[in-house]
Amino acid sequence: MKEQFEPNVVAFLCNWCSYAGADLAGTSRIQYPSNLNVIRVMCSGRVNPLFVINALQQGADGVLISGCHPGDCHYMEGNFYARRRFTLMKELLEYVGVDSRRFNMSWVSASEGSKWKDVVQGVVEKAKEAGPFEQFRRNKINW
Amino acid sequence: MNNKPKVGVYVCHCGINIAKTVDVNAVTEFASHLPNVKVARNYSYMCSDPGQLLIREDIKNEGLNRVVVASCSPRMHELTFRKTLAEAGLNPYYLEMANIREQCSWVHEDRERATGKAKKLVAAAVSKVRLLEPLQEKEVEVEPATLIIGGGIAGIQAALDIANAGFKVYLVEKTPSIGGRMSQLDKTLPTLDCSACILTPKMVDVASHPNIELFTYSQVEDVSGFVGNFQVKVRRKARYVDMDKCTGCGACAQECRLSGRIPSEFDVGMGKRGAIYLPFPQAVPAKYTIDAQRCLFLTRGKCGKSPKCIDACAAGAINFEQKDEMIEFKVGAIIVATGFDVFDASRKPEYGYNDYVNVITSLELERLVSASGPTGGNVVIGTGEEAFVPKEIAFIKCVGSRDKSVGNEYCSRVCCMYTAKLAHLVEEKIPGANVRVYYMDVRAFGKGFEEFYDRVRREGIRYIRGNPSEIFKRGDKLVIKVENTLTSTPMEDEVDLVVLAVGLEPRKDAREIIDLLRLSQSADRFFLEAHPKLAPVDTATDGVFLAGCAQGPKDIPDTVAQAKGAASSALVLLSSGRVKVQAQISFINEATCRGCGFCVEICPYGAIELVTVNRMGHQVSVARVNEALCKGCGACAAGCLSGSSQQKSFMDRQILPQIAVLGVMK
Amino acid sequence: MVDLEKLKNVARETVSRDDVKYLIGWRQGTYGFRVSPHFVKEPDEAEKLIFSPLCTNNLATYLVLTERLPLLRGEQPDSRKVALMVKGCDSRAVVQQLIEQGINRESVFIIGCPCEGVIDLKKVEEKFSNQPGPVQARWSNGKIVFHLPDGDKEVPKGEVLAAKCLSCRYPNPVITDLMLWEEVQTRGSDEYEDVKELEAKSPQERWLFWEDKFSSCIRCYSCRNVCPMCYCEDCVLDRLNPAWVFRSNNISENTAFQLARAFHLAGRCIECGECERVCPVGIPLTKLNRKLAKEVKEKYEYIPGLDPESKPLQSSYRPDDKEDFIL
Repeated sequence: MKEQFEPNVVAFLCNWCSYAGADLAGTSRIQYPSNLNVIRVMCSGRVNPLFVINALQQGADGVLISGCHPGDCHYMEGNFYARRRFTLMKELLEYVGVDSRRFNMSWVSASEGSKWKDVVQGVVEKAKEAGPFEQFRRNKINW
Repeated sequence: MNNKPKVGVYVCHCGINIAKTVDVNAVTEFASHLPNVKVARNYSYMCSDPGQLLIREDIKNEGLNRVVVASCSPRMHELTFRKTLAEAGLNPYYLEMANIREQCSWVHEDRERATGKAKKLVAAAVSKVRLLEPLQEKEVEVEPATLIIGGGIAGIQAALDIANAGFKVYLVEKTPSIGGRMSQLDKTLPTLDCSACILTPKMVDVASHPNIELFTYSQVEDVSGFVGNFQVKVRRKARYVDMDKCTGCGACAQECRLSGRIPSEFDVGMGKRGAIYLPFPQAVPAKYTIDAQRCLFLTRGKCGKSPKCIDACAAGAINFEQKDEMIEFKVGAIIVATGFDVFDASRKPEYGYNDYVNVITSLELERLVSASGPTGGNVVIGTGEEAFVPKEIAFIKCVGSRDKSVGNEYCSRVCCMYTAKLAHLVEEKIPGANVRVYYMDVRAFGKGFEEFYDRVRREGIRYIRGNPSEIFKRGDKLVIKVENTLTSTPMEDEVDLVVLAVGLEPRKDAREIIDLLRLSQSADRFFLEAHPKLAPVDTATDGVFLAGCAQGPKDIPDTVAQAKGAASSALVLLSSGRVKVQAQISFINEATCRGCGFCVEICPYGAIELVTVNRMGHQVSVARVNEALCKGCGACAAGCLSGSSQQKSFMDRQILPQIAVLGVMK
Repeated sequence: MVDLEKLKNVARETVSRDDVKYLIGWRQGTYGFRVSPHFVKEPDEAEKLIFSPLCTNNLATYLVLTERLPLLRGEQPDSRKVALMVKGCDSRAVVQQLIEQGINRESVFIIGCPCEGVIDLKKVEEKFSNQPGPVQARWSNGKIVFHLPDGDKEVPKGEVLAAKCLSCRYPNPVITDLMLWEEVQTRGSDEYEDVKELEAKSPQERWLFWEDKFSSCIRCYSCRNVCPMCYCEDCVLDRLNPAWVFRSNNISENTAFQLARAFHLAGRCIECGECERVCPVGIPLTKLNRKLAKEVKEKYEYIPGLDPESKPLQSSYRPDDKEDFIL
């Protein structure tokens, strides 16, 4: 049964590096799993940490935040703020018992199409291992 | 007007790029049943004219007020489709794109899965587009003036170009004269024309140009505002000489009690000046300056019976009561042309720069060979009875460049060629001189450079490949320990003079400029350009441009070219007279803001400030976004605890439904 | 040593000042070991003020929760100071409020009460149940003396003090305008043993622990309301659009609520423990908050509520912040 589980990963990508890197993977026709869906924001600094809780509640089995490498942020500092916020959010989630494989963060630049593939594969694989997220998923009747 | 969302969904085949792996008909069918979707169509090329016409017709005929285009990446065609919407009379920000090519059809082979993902992406886009709000692209007027920081050749060239185009220029230079590093050089390469001869006319032009206001011996203290509307504060330091009265006759300098006793900055210490001085004969403005740190009267309050300069000045220009002056003005653009520092050779102690009088830097040699230099163009080392003319001369290249041990990994780009030039000049000035150059590589990439390098070698200058490890004294001679890496032979070379070809470094005061203008540094610590290839003179701060070595080491032709580039970028702004500001910016709900100032701290652009507003009779502090400064990163929105700060088109309430769709849909 | 007469005299003097609106202190409650906040507006009201091991309430909350009623046109807001009595932990809340510009330094007059630790009501009520009348208490030579109707009872501190007091690092107010008596010795060091204990368990065990706690949450929002750091005009967790959490009471919404609440306090929580004290269903909220406090201290060497000039943790960064988990 578990072999057939296809996880559902929600990813937040910054427009300038990671989204561009994901586009480059496409232009280069690099194949990767289709379980990850992207929400584009202008900067990883825009990603509200509560989005992560919300995504898990709304049915995601894994979450990925991806931005520019430190020092390369299009807005100079956004990814530094994101790094602090999500370091703490990751700790909090693990502390209440959420599988640490469900929450990931990466730096992918506009030129790292193949790194993007590695990241997606890794994140999807980890979510697959962690299995369906049930702990505090919202009941379907509610949404 | 009834603004109930009526969404049109347009699925692009992109030839077979999308249609091959994504079942576009199935996606279209699926989209047509999504809430608020009025029309769902697919077409072979949505970005083509007929494709765009399809959208425009539907907007008119079906009364669509929201559009989703499922095609390539928004990074590719978002602007195209925004225009399409605008042409049909719809606000261009009522558009959302679903990226079903780069992030779907091109990366997944399984048709069923790719189609499923495409459906999800379209559904997420529809859920967001319903909640989008119309945005206005605001324009602000541009103050038709430019501030140029730095009066070297880059600043001079940019100032002249902008002033000649008819716009006002404020040129601010820290030292008493413009001219910069180029004025210290003797000859320029590879043509060997005299540096002063080509530079001085430009300096005079700057001083006399009606559109240029020149502030020498001045510093930019504060810059606020944003592209098109910068507020600048400049401190004009006290010169203690009335600029209007001083005739530049020089009588004061001759009389000064310290005359000839203070190392001259212009001659890099090779020559001497007095406490009142003109940096060099061709200085612009040709007005004297009193060195407040050295002047006896200013430091001790007493200079003989009365300061001799006062007595000597027939024009009565000396004024010890003068104070620093603050000047404020507005500009639309700023060009940073602050130049470089030369590498401090004492940071390579193995070369003994601090220990031996006959180890000098290239810039010092430059002053020695200069006809207007302290020795009248004679290469004489040492002073008084110990002075001698060196015969055996060695140059060492890459001192402080390409050297991780001093933290400079980069190539300084000019040393190879100026070494060739100096070697040539020395050989010319000292009959029978024996000149060799120790090098790692020779990089002669510019126009006429390789030819010049070739000429110099044919003149008898020896190039020895090796990076000297040590210099020490033996008798009267200096010994260079080095391995000739082409023959793998260790050798010792006895010479009279060692010239260290020092590299270029970011200025020590670069931090001040960074803080002033919110610039970034690249890994080499020079100022970071917006894009290394396509925006080499722009910076991340709109309206601020870079010219010359402030951005990275370069020679004079490249500097002038970049200065002209920066001038043209500034002129684009100034001559259009208006500048568009980002529409997808942040805003604050002042009714719920608690004024904690988190966003103020977070904003990388200083675009948010706390203001006091009246809330039912109480004065409360709330954040407010300066729309012209905000670049729309949204970092404030994520840091706001009360959700009062939001980014337009990326609001929490627009993103949560996207999350819901992507999470819930299987 | 606690000097009640001095406390009352200072309070009388303070409220008599022209530039002071009122003073907030503690007074004995109506039954048992309870204590109420006491708002002193007139000098003679100062008589009721107390300071004892029962004074658990963090009064700094009232600085930021003061209701600002609409003013009539032309009416001037009352800009006089509020005088506030603080223990060590309470004073850190004031500092944090200053960092976050929730209050102005000029608008508050801080009266410091060095504190030897306050009780955990649950522990005390377990020991001495059924106290219909008010019971007073005082510190005495490292013990706590309760004046029960049937005579004084001396109890070692360890048996009745609140957990936060047993490992208290800041018993003396860190910011004051006036210190009421000499400072007391710092009692403990805090190694976050309670957090580490839970961290050592497996994720499944941790979730079972919190699932049990969170499912009993009745979403009364007491924890938020009592918190001296939670004073948004309009809390995001109350909002319907966007609805970060739905109002239904179930494990999903409760967990989301508690995680969001805890996260919003990351780098801000001063560990006064009021949230846990007021929780009607006994959720160990400090255990949740202190996890983040621990991470903030270990990763960023940041302790909230100590330096009014420091930058808020999440509005600052260091380029070399740790990032070992980032791909």
